[in-house]
Amino acid sequence: MTPITAPTAKLEAPAANRRLDLLRMIAEAGGKVSPIANPRAERGYEYLSPFEDENELNFLARGDYLEERFLERVTLCPKCASHHLNVREICPSCRRARLASEGLLHHFRCGFVGRLSEFTTIDDGNGSRLCPKCNRRLHHLGTEYDRLGKASVCLECGVITEHPPVEAVCFACGARSSAEDLVSIDVFSYVLTSLGITAIRRGSMLDRDDELLFIEGMPVYRRSVILEFIDHEMKRLRQLKSEFSLLVAEFAREAPGNDGVALLLPCLTRMRQCLREVDLIGQLTDAVYVVILPQTAQKAAEALRKRILAELAPPLLALSAVQITERIHLEQVLSRRSAVGGP
Amino acid sequence: MSGFIQYFLSVIDPTQNVGFSRALPQLMSSGLISWWLMYVIPVGIGFLPGIVCWVVYLVNPAVIRPPLPARTPQAWPLVSVVIAGRNEAASIGQAIRAALLCGYANLEVIFVDDCSDDDSVVIARRAARSVTRQGSDDNRVRIFPSPRRNGKASSLNIGIRMARGEFIAIIDADSTIQYGAMQHWLLPFADSRVGAVSANIRVLNSSTCLLTRLQELEYAMKFTVTRYALARMGILPIIPGMGGLFRAEILHRLGGFDTGLGDDTDMTMNLRKRRWKLAFSLDAVVWTIVPVTRRHLWSQRMRWQRNLVKIRLSKHRDQFVLGRYGLANAILAIEQVIVLFILPWVGLIGLFSVMLDSGPFSAPEVLTRIYWIYVAFLLVKTLIARDFASTPQPSHFWLLFLYPFYGLFLRLPTMYAELCELFRIGAKHPYVPDHIWQEIPWW
Repeated sequence: MTPITAPTAKLEAPAANRRLDLLRMIAEAGGKVSPIANPRAERGYEYLSPFEDENELNFLARGDYLEERFLERVTLCPKCASHHLNVREICPSCRRARLASEGLLHHFRCGFVGRLSEFTTIDDGNGSRLCPKCNRRLHHLGTEYDRLGKASVCLECGVITEHPPVEAVCFACGARSSAEDLVSIDVFSYVLTSLGITAIRRGSMLDRDDELLFIEGMPVYRRSVILEFIDHEMKRLRQLKSEFSLLVAEFAREAPGNDGVALLLPCLTRMRQCLREVDLIGQLTDAVYVVILPQTAQKAAEALRKRILAELAPPLLALSAVQITERIHLEQVLSRRSAVGGP
Repeated sequence: MSGFIQYFLSVIDPTQNVGFSRALPQLMSSGLISWWLMYVIPVGIGFLPGIVCWVVYLVNPAVIRPPLPARTPQAWPLVSVVIAGRNEAASIGQAIRAALLCGYANLEVIFVDDCSDDDSVVIARRAARSVTRQGSDDNRVRIFPSPRRNGKASSLNIGIRMARGEFIAIIDADSTIQYGAMQHWLLPFADSRVGAVSANIRVLNSSTCLLTRLQELEYAMKFTVTRYALARMGILPIIPGMGGLFRAEILHRLGGFDTGLGDDTDMTMNLRKRRWKLAFSLDAVVWTIVPVTRRHLWSQRMRWQRNLVKIRLSKHRDQFVLGRYGLANAILAIEQVIVLFILPWVGLIGLFSVMLDSGPFSAPEVLTRIYWIYVAFLLVKTLIARDFASTPQPSHFWLLFLYPFYGLFLRLPTMYAELCELFRIGAKHPYVPDHIWQEIPWW
């Protein structure tokens, strides 16, 4: 659950201006910043100028001005953080990488299990093999012998293993690390949110309480706030058995950077009128909104959903009602939101 | 009933007669063949070696229980624990966890699943993850799910081929290695002539029912005391499949186990013929689950006995060629024939001959005396087991009075198995898959 991370202290003027400029440049670049793969970059990906300061992007994302969208996972050396790694399978015994994939044979008569190369081929025109244990000929696959599948054989020490361990050698520092010890970092794209658009339009970062809580001019909580409310409802559910439901509304998507969110205002206002005072609306992504219906079971939530659908015409694309009784239900709703709001 | 009990006890009541002092010379001089075959010879073979070992243990415990040498954990060799099993979801997790947590760091576990229908592989992986160090390069557990059912011997061979250790421990999927056992298990290998070491098999579920308690007594006497004594005499008859430690080079050189049933007996015979010494470690305790129903016990003993007949008398019949495999093997061959194949039959015949000697049940005093003598020897052997290995539990000692009847019950599947094997009745065993069975020449 994302905690409320909006900045509480007023930003220093130079820093605020710098960040506002950054938001403007992102808007001019199409509302989205994505890193570019570059082998020479420290971590394999870099944000091109003028977006190279990842800390700033991260700060703006924590303040809900930008939305983080997962792009890639990069594996780094745990010793020097280089991404120049030679990843390969190794022998679990001698830890060398000289492995070969070879079939295993099983001779039914004597029970011998060995590598294909251990069963010498006889020059009898039938391709028969000789069992090294009992010296009998193996003619018929399936009735006299069978293949047990393939295994990795170490050409140095002869150890057979089905799943050899994976090890990485860093080209930069030479450190050898097992796959489990490697460091992974996630690389994100950053997309301008409605809060970022509002900040650009106003020419200043938002620092009033209502600006941080609500989307400007709309009866809708910002993402971090509505997630906090959902988290609170989950706590009430766990401790007080207070049931609740969610309505997830998906609208026709508007291009970021324009006033698309404002176009939804009449629709969201009408939706608000259909709800009780205690119900809360919040934005999950630009086009997906969620309504918390406290102490509401699935049946009542479903009835409300039908009423809203009858009231609203497009741009509402879909509206679903889900009663949350376990954490998994919430995760399903939020993962669906991710899918809807993904790049 | 009270009259019977009064009579039953009167033969050992010193106020009623002079007890053993009168009975023993009378029986020894009676020339009663059943007496000699049923009790004198079994006592000689089954009890005397144990008693001798006990005396040695009382005088100098270090001879029986050598102390562990002071070594750093790195100095101990790598041991591969190979477990083969089919549909062992109920026990495989515990077996893997116990092996990994037995207090021996330089150890790997290889589980070969013989195409199970249940969740054995999933549970084995879960058990491995629960014990191995998270986030590390931990290859201490390797699991091989066999794509086709191949039987236990072939599954073990897969595990042996994958083993990296200098020593390979073979245990059953329902066996668990006791903490600290591995170091003791390895001790006898200090002698370079030792090829394999038998673990001390103990009963894990002894408190389940009367049958398991009786099996605990049986295991304590036969598997602990007798096997230890036989090992000291150089005629240990078996390295059990539920707990045996082998030099890896031997298993690799032999090409693993032969297919079919009785893989442990067969491997033991192979080792003996190659003149490897077999040892027994009292402190290498491996716990196993024994049958809890008469049906399962009957089936298990039938299988054991049929394997013995098939392997010892048929597949390895050349062991009876005196001098070919050395004196100890010749003695063992003769001992095995007497104890496993002749005694059950002559014992039964002797019992009937006593009863029918002068008409049915006319010699109850003889039988009653035999019963008490037998119980007395059992008590001695149980005390030895208790002193040697802290088994059986003292609260189970009273079962010694029932043990002679349990012993008689066990002779039934033994003798029935011999008859079945002789006449080839039900030779095919479900433990071995059809495609393997058809290829095995000696089954």
